[in-house]
Amino acid sequence: MTGSPPTLRIPRGNLLRSRVVSEIGTTLSRALDREVTGYATVVPQETLLLAGEAKGVITFDDGVPVLAYNTVSDSGGADALAELAVPGPYRVELYAVDADGLAAAHRADALRVTPGAVATELADDQRLADRTRAAAPDERLVEADEDDTDAVTAFLEDDDRIAAIREQARTEAAARAREWGLDGALGGPTDEDGCGDDRSDRDRSDARSDATTTER
Amino acid sequence: MVEAFAVASGKGGTGKTTSTLALGMALADEYDVTVVDADTGMANLLFHTGLDDATVTLHDLLVGETATDVSEATYDRFGLSVVPCGTSLAGFEAAEPARLRAVVAELAADTDVLLLDSPAALGSKSAVLPVVLADRVVIVVEPTIPALSDGLKVQEYARSYGTETAGVLFNKVREGTADVTAQAERHFGGPVLASVPDSDVVRAARRAGEPLLAHAPESGPAACYRRAAGRLDVRDGDGDAVADRFRSAVVPDTP
Repeated sequence: MTGSPPTLRIPRGNLLRSRVVSEIGTTLSRALDREVTGYATVVPQETLLLAGEAKGVITFDDGVPVLAYNTVSDSGGADALAELAVPGPYRVELYAVDADGLAAAHRADALRVTPGAVATELADDQRLADRTRAAAPDERLVEADEDDTDAVTAFLEDDDRIAAIREQARTEAAARAREWGLDGALGGPTDEDGCGDDRSDRDRSDARSDATTTER
Repeated sequence: MVEAFAVASGKGGTGKTTSTLALGMALADEYDVTVVDADTGMANLLFHTGLDDATVTLHDLLVGETATDVSEATYDRFGLSVVPCGTSLAGFEAAEPARLRAVVAELAADTDVLLLDSPAALGSKSAVLPVVLADRVVIVVEPTIPALSDGLKVQEYARSYGTETAGVLFNKVREGTADVTAQAERHFGGPVLASVPDSDVVRAARRAGEPLLAHAPESGPAACYRRAAGRLDVRDGDGDAVADRFRSAVVPDTP
């Protein structure tokens, strides 16, 4: 796209739900099941590389996502999804808007996402993505064939974002290694004076706490 | 020779166990392969190999002061040596994860390739141990942003412990998905080994309690796994030296 950056202008709408959620899939599923026409605002609580108050807007037509927009970066479509795809929790607000109120906004091709992309990339939920695609009108599925993985490509091309994820993981790994008494196994420079005398207690508690470890 | 691979993902549901067994069976054409269910909290290797009724499992080997020999928990299945893990909470609670080191050391002394089917999350010491103990890690991901983010996280955890990336396996790849191999390889320390398509045949194999390469050896996904195994480029290691390394790994013993 050329010319002025994409913008999103939509009516305020009626607030249906406002929650802090660890998984955005619940909100997407609710919008789909209730065939909501409107939009959701999505504010990741962990603003990795999203300076300031990152806020995403996802619009829906009969429960199927149509547009994605990041009001901080002014990115739209797949690029916005890639920026918003950070681990939860998120503050999510879901609004209903008259269909006419979104008609103009939904003509903004630059902001469009494929029907299943939000469930796949933000909620990490392929079943929900399948359900969403099944509910989408045929003309939306044509576009899906063309660019369903644009957000993944945008993510993998964002070197700064990936460097930040890796740096954060390295820091976390080092901190946890100390916590678990594994710092001696670290490949890099190690902290030699780790407190060894309580390690065995940690071993046992780790083994048991594992039973309640949940996957994201 | 021996090389130990942790098969990991950072999230559940990516098909780690299916992938571990498929890579193992493909490698077994050339190597003596041992597959270990190192996911002691959520074991499922036994369900994939028809070992639901196995009486002795890794759990028994991880319990202190028992005389259970490693060979008792090792089963010959599908051309592999399979060490399943039990699924009972009691077995899990009695297990001491640090003992995995000694078990792996013993297995390493008598095999060419060790594949450690690893826990999904990295949130505990026992979950990260396979990555600590392995020579290299195979990262199994779906080509989505959350999965790739988690895969990158696994890679950094592994690197922190000196465990490099052998490769990335794209799994459950949907039809029409764009090829992001080149972009992914810029960020992972190994090649994209293969893109395995999402397929009903994989689910059918799981329901049948058979590894994919036994259930549908001529299928498209099976061919992808063979290609992936061929790209793993298994390295020669001194089995005794590797076993010693495992034994002397700094994982502290529980008393």
